[in-house]
Amino acid sequence: MKNNLNNSTSPVTGRRYWRSLDELADTPEFKDWLHREFPVGASELVEDGQSRRNFLKIMSASFAFAGIATLGSGCRRPEEKLEPFGQQPENYTFGEAQYFATAMPTRTGAIPLVVKSYEGRPIKIEGNALFPGSNGGTDRYAQASILDLYDPDRARHFKHDGKVVVREEALNFLDELSKKFAANSGEGLAFLSESSTSPSRWRVQQNIASKFPKSQWFTYDAIDSGIHQRAATQAFGQPVHPVFHFDKAKVILSLDCDFLGGEDGAHEHIRKFAAGRKAGQGMSRLYAIESLFTLTGANADHRLRVAASSVAQIAAAILGAVISGQTPGVTTVPADLDLKWISECANDLAKNRGNVLVIAGQRQPLVVHLLAHAINTALDCIGNTVALIPGTDNRGGASGQLAKYLDGHAVDTLVILGGNPVQNSPGQMNWAALQKKAKTVVRLGYYEDETAELANWNFPAAHYLESWGDATTSDGTLVPVQPLIQPLFGGLSELDFLWRILGQSLGSILAVRSTHGSFVDGEQWKKFLFNGFVAGSSKSLENVKMVKSTSALNQLLVEAGKPVLSASNLEVVFFRDAKVDDGRYANNGWMQELPDPITKMTWDNAVLVSRKTARDLGVANGDLVEISLNGQKVIGPIWTQPGMADYSLGLALGYGRERAGRVGTGVGFNAYKIFSGKYIETGATIHKTGETHVIACTQDHWSMEGRPAVREANLAEFTKLPNFAEEMHGKEPPIVKSLYPNPFDEAKKTALHQWGMAIDLTSCVGCGTCVVACQSENNIPIVGKDQVKRGREMHWMRIDRYYTADPKKENPADKFKTDEDQQFSEWIDDVQAVNQPMLCQHCEMAPCESVCPVNATVHDQEGLNVMAYNRCIGTRYCSNNCPYKVRRFNYLDFNKRPLSELKGPIYSSAMLGHKTDGELDILRWWKDPNSGMRSEDEWDLIKLSKNPDVTVRMRGVMEKCTYCTQRIEHAKIGQKAKAGGSDNVRLLEAAGTIPKTACQQACPAGAIVFGDVSDPESAVSKAKAQPQNYGVLADLLTKPRTTYLARVRNPNPLMPDYREWPHSFEEYEQLNGNPFDHEKKGNG
Amino acid sequence: MIFPKWTNSLPLALGVIAALTGAAVAAGVTIYLTPKYTRAGYQPVQPVPFSHKIHAGQLGLDCRYCHNGVEKSWFANLPGASTCMNCHNQVLKDDPRLQIVRDSATNNTPIPWVQVHKVPDYVYFNHSVHIRRGMSCVECHGRIDQMEEVSHAKSLSMSFCLDCHRDPAAKIRPTDKVTELGWQWSTNDEEAAKLQEVNGKKFVHDWKVETLQSCSACHR
Repeated sequence: MKNNLNNSTSPVTGRRYWRSLDELADTPEFKDWLHREFPVGASELVEDGQSRRNFLKIMSASFAFAGIATLGSGCRRPEEKLEPFGQQPENYTFGEAQYFATAMPTRTGAIPLVVKSYEGRPIKIEGNALFPGSNGGTDRYAQASILDLYDPDRARHFKHDGKVVVREEALNFLDELSKKFAANSGEGLAFLSESSTSPSRWRVQQNIASKFPKSQWFTYDAIDSGIHQRAATQAFGQPVHPVFHFDKAKVILSLDCDFLGGEDGAHEHIRKFAAGRKAGQGMSRLYAIESLFTLTGANADHRLRVAASSVAQIAAAILGAVISGQTPGVTTVPADLDLKWISECANDLAKNRGNVLVIAGQRQPLVVHLLAHAINTALDCIGNTVALIPGTDNRGGASGQLAKYLDGHAVDTLVILGGNPVQNSPGQMNWAALQKKAKTVVRLGYYEDETAELANWNFPAAHYLESWGDATTSDGTLVPVQPLIQPLFGGLSELDFLWRILGQSLGSILAVRSTHGSFVDGEQWKKFLFNGFVAGSSKSLENVKMVKSTSALNQLLVEAGKPVLSASNLEVVFFRDAKVDDGRYANNGWMQELPDPITKMTWDNAVLVSRKTARDLGVANGDLVEISLNGQKVIGPIWTQPGMADYSLGLALGYGRERAGRVGTGVGFNAYKIFSGKYIETGATIHKTGETHVIACTQDHWSMEGRPAVREANLAEFTKLPNFAEEMHGKEPPIVKSLYPNPFDEAKKTALHQWGMAIDLTSCVGCGTCVVACQSENNIPIVGKDQVKRGREMHWMRIDRYYTADPKKENPADKFKTDEDQQFSEWIDDVQAVNQPMLCQHCEMAPCESVCPVNATVHDQEGLNVMAYNRCIGTRYCSNNCPYKVRRFNYLDFNKRPLSELKGPIYSSAMLGHKTDGELDILRWWKDPNSGMRSEDEWDLIKLSKNPDVTVRMRGVMEKCTYCTQRIEHAKIGQKAKAGGSDNVRLLEAAGTIPKTACQQACPAGAIVFGDVSDPESAVSKAKAQPQNYGVLADLLTKPRTTYLARVRNPNPLMPDYREWPHSFEEYEQLNGNPFDHEKKGNG
Repeated sequence: MIFPKWTNSLPLALGVIAALTGAAVAAGVTIYLTPKYTRAGYQPVQPVPFSHKIHAGQLGLDCRYCHNGVEKSWFANLPGASTCMNCHNQVLKDDPRLQIVRDSATNNTPIPWVQVHKVPDYVYFNHSVHIRRGMSCVECHGRIDQMEEVSHAKSLSMSFCLDCHRDPAAKIRPTDKVTELGWQWSTNDEEAAKLQEVNGKKFVHDWKVETLQSCSACHR
């Protein structure tokens, strides 16, 4: 082995490959290489080629050829290069994560974030815990948005009439556009954008208006969240934006408002709502009036199931009762409604004057919002539970006006910024035809989607993690959007794009910085970026009074009408999907595979109906029906949803995409086809097509069957019997004597920490953010609809949702039936729902460990049930023996194969007989072993998104929640490195060194507490010391480290639907007897 | 007679041969297919003839001057060419052997060093905690300061890691002596061993050094 100075070639950057053996063998370098065992710079010999496989071929060929091979060197791993910086950057340590504050813009606000970045790759999104009031929680969309950054289907090219053009050419086009319209002051120039809270966007918009005075600006959002501001502006007579303080309210009334689920800023609502509902510490009470079964309804103490179109009447009745103190008249509300419900609810509101919050849903018409403000005003709540901040200006016309404008004017150039109007504009509008009326359509879009197909020029948009920008949160605080990475495919941010049209290629950082004159001082700007917000930039208004008169409200109410629903006059409720939003996350695999928080449906939307509606229409789960509304038709599958209002159809928007990408194309049906812009419409009819559709649902069991998985009590009973949950503990098997001592008992004596978790079921609303956060942190793959149907989803954490009902209504035998058989049972009409996050319980006596034949799952000394992937041989015994069913098995190579290729040669049930593209799989594989694998460029992009701290598992390996062991180890290593030659090695809550698990970090409700249970002062120890703490299936003596704080409800005893105990408790009692009656229980 | 008499001993002979072959294969695998044989001794040619013997040995540069991530990160870090140029803009300024280094520093293009020490991808080894807690470089890398061209000195197999994790007292040393590769408690080997035993136990006790042998210590 000698140094050879002459082979020092200059390194090339980028991917380097071999081309072919023959080509290589001919080169003089190759012959030279043969004389050396390990070539230096060998990979530079050819500039292109294929893979490591070829590399190995060449290696082995060369050894045989030259006859110098030894066994040892032949077995040696392939040579790898370490390529350091040429110029070492300052303040950067390779291998340590960096964190940057930024924000994700939403329609009416922004979510302040801190993003973790490894070697320049953003890999995990977390909420900014420094943000005033924030606990670091986020929502599902924010957690999943990082996957979009690495989406192989995102727009990568600048295109003109479908042909790829170079970036410069496309940018030149914008310059020409600028010159052209500067000459005619913007005649024939129109913009269509989505709404935004960015001051910089508003500034560029104003600049455009002054440079091109004749240009037009329109705004369109398929999901309109702006109604809260519009309604408040009307109600209070000045531009104001309402901020709802659920934490300050004692009584909350939701008028068809899914503030915990589908509304913008739900994560903030959840945080405040949970803060006002701590068991035993002044709990608020939630009344929900709604037609769909939403997360808000699931968390309500009293829920009224009514058609969405009758909410206005009910709201008016409540307002009347609140003002007059009288029971509302029979004529004012729908006939079959329980008047006592309304009058007692109104009484409760009136009793809590000043601490009431009434909120109307964004899908409800203006009148309901005004009625809500009227009730809030009547009860002196404006300024207390409802704060008002200055509203933003009216930032552009609506798209309906654009349609008219396109019809009546000669639009030369239509610039579409983001959005996807061809997909998500109302079906009646026929946007695709309208769009063609513009001579040139220029589109800045993140995907080459339906709208891009009909555009003349397509510009790839940059992700928000690639762009400079700014935004204001829903409470009016200014936040920065700063890039973590250069645009992967040279995309433009909206600001870049617009400034270019203005004829100024302002660097995008300048486009933001110059908006905020006060930040010219460098230190302030740095602080702005460091903190991720400007403290104190949110100001609420004082002494704002309602100006809308009661008579004006009455007039609106009459206009709203009183529809009578029936099987031939159905109501349709269009709602924002909990996963794909308005369709923008349709190609996001995490979102598609996340079970819907209520239906637990994946990879689909459905026509949600109540049991009675289904019976009257003669349809059952999975039946494909054609819905006709206003002359438009769409076909979708039926799904019976417990708790739905009768004669109401729930349709999630955003599915049925035609050009979403590899993940989202063709998933579900497109409800926009019958959408007219109104979210609640009546007059729909249903027609059964006779065909069926299979829906992949992750929980096909609604009932708990009386088992105490989730334990609940009402506040009054909880106060009397605080340890009720412990009393529901099942019968333990008698222990004679342990056969052999648990080695963990010995190991834990010397350990520094003992990890544990407590989940507060009173705080948890079941939103599913933790599930996505876990997926993002732990490199969990998606498996596709077909595999979910087989129960092979890989989520380490799931949220179990159970429905409970009055056991007297319920046929006891029904409890044990599957949903398929239960969809026509009456008990599902009025149900209570409970949510329970379920993840590895880290049992001290883990049933999984004792059955593993290879010791791949064992305990570590700190109480973690650890999984050694490289040791696992995939017997799946552990999963069989796990009573919580939280272990996940990689049945197929979910990482390396795209969803469409999962059924490759070896995986098919037909084995050798299976064909793909008309060719036998086995033959395909023989010709090319890589057939069906992801292509290299796709794989490269996917690799970028992976968390380097967590092993990427392959086929045949079991996996499960590890309590984010990588975060624990990182914290421990950090503390030990800091300790050096001292004994200060223990992580302590007081010192703030305890790591947070990904789920805990992401939880907007703060329901998950993780920490050291051997430290009595830790939050988790204190949580576990609360009387309502219990372990699920602890009677099996598994000694779970994850425990739950039983759920406490706060119903009003005066309400007609009041029961002393929640339904789940009644079901338990029916099956097991009263847990407090110890004699009868005979638990000897 | 179909089977002649000698076939009586055939089963025995075959059994013996099979046993011997089996033993030979087993022995061969144990000896030749273990990291101790396949990895130790690996000495690739590097693109720049950098001599640790001169820099770390003769000149006495501290390891951390170049490997500056070793106390902060899992990765010890390879120095950027700009670090080399701190001295080499004066020393051996025009030496042709350093052309690639100068190019790298000027153009900010990386030098393709060949990786010598590597643990499998499912092993999460962290330099900082070992170095800061009195585990010397020499325990895993050998006497780098005596190597002209770096070679793989130890096996770095799982059993190699576990040897130390089971008994850290045998290797632990004062934290300020970690990068002195030739350091011993005493010049007298016997006494050094004795002192190591006494002080090692003391350090492990005083610093609360754990004997981590659970999977989660290295596999995540």
